[in-house]
Amino acid sequence: MKYSSESAQEKRRGFLDPRTKIALTVCMAVFVLGGLGGTVMEPVKNALSVLPFLLLLIEKQWNRFLRGFMMLAIGYGLLFLMPHLQGTLQFVALMCGGILTRFVVTVVMGEYLVGTTSVSEFISAMERLHMPQEITIPMSVMFRLFPTIGAEWKSIRRAMGMRGISLGGVRAGQLLEYQMVPMMTSSVRIGEELSASALTRGLGAPVKRTNICRIGFRIQDILLLFVCIVTVVLWIMSLCGVALWNN
Amino acid sequence: MNNENKLKGRDLINVGIYSAIYFVIMMAVAMLGMIPIFLPLLSVIVPILGGIPFMLFLTKVKKPGMIFIMAMIMGIMMLITGMGPWPLLTCAVAGIIAELVVRSGQYKSVAKSILAYGFFSMWIWGNYLPLFTDYEGYFAQRESYGQAYIDALQKLMPLWMAPVLLIACFVCGIAGGFLGRVLLKKHFEKAGIV
Repeated sequence: MKYSSESAQEKRRGFLDPRTKIALTVCMAVFVLGGLGGTVMEPVKNALSVLPFLLLLIEKQWNRFLRGFMMLAIGYGLLFLMPHLQGTLQFVALMCGGILTRFVVTVVMGEYLVGTTSVSEFISAMERLHMPQEITIPMSVMFRLFPTIGAEWKSIRRAMGMRGISLGGVRAGQLLEYQMVPMMTSSVRIGEELSASALTRGLGAPVKRTNICRIGFRIQDILLLFVCIVTVVLWIMSLCGVALWNN
Repeated sequence: MNNENKLKGRDLINVGIYSAIYFVIMMAVAMLGMIPIFLPLLSVIVPILGGIPFMLFLTKVKKPGMIFIMAMIMGIMMLITGMGPWPLLTCAVAGIIAELVVRSGQYKSVAKSILAYGFFSMWIWGNYLPLFTDYEGYFAQRESYGQAYIDALQKLMPLWMAPVLLIACFVCGIAGGFLGRVLLKKHFEKAGIV
């Protein structure tokens, strides 16, 4: 078969190893979003924030890049407009701007991770990290299901909206019962089908699975992992009271 | 431990399915937390709504370990979504307690499963811990949201709120468990997925 040949796998191989992507995502989440390290780490955080956008461009994910870029632009636009606004509007602009500029970067990183990693790649990377099956299988099922649940929920919302069951509708009180219950029912059904198909392909079998995905560290992985390590080292240094910058 | 109690692929996939549903519902609600007034209220809304998928999940749990794994996955997801390392700790503790409670009911007792969900819900408290353990630092970081936001939040979250929120998580978890049971009876059993 064409797509299982060695060269096709090489062609489909992502720019980064999944392990690098995960390390970067956690690094982003903890430092940029979680705000670890406080204001001293600000320059490092700014440098980190550029990475996901760069990566999306390298992987030619134009839509994701544009969406992230727009959100960031709106965020900074609001912050820029803020001093010219009055009263409540100023408060809202400041809050939305602050939240957007803070969250978008990590969201973009997460999108990059989910959008460019296949489930096989993820499992294969996790196996090499010697993560126990008990964590990898549920995690990969989750990442596989998120888009599905999102799509299901959207169509159920639309269907129920026609019957007046929506946030602004006449029967908003029934929102819970008639939106969440169908969403869960269909997600469970889909999940069960998924589970049947995964079991047929030997997920969770007592023997070791083989995998045709090609992953491994290359020069770009080493470079980015180095960035992660430097961030952590700088954070530890700042904890120990070493002055990072002179200003 | 005999072979029957070992977790198989199907069980692990089930954990994944229900964790995904629980997580999506939680994240959809957690977005409200951006508005100051909803931040303490999250410990009320999340346990109640999360009770529906969790009660459904418990009907599939027949072997030890599944609840603990789900709790740990929530902890890891919180780490990835930037809530810091605290939830990992509370998840481990809440997961073990919930697991033991369900286990004491031989994975069958309805009352025990509702109680277990109360304990399980207490992991949500871990999300507040960065605020309470480093009160000054937390607000210093949120300066970019504006002084009005900080003032509103400080009024809503004085230090004595910490134990209150923990209890709120537990009580609302029990309420969520009851809600989950009711909906389970009304809808899911009819639809044949229990």
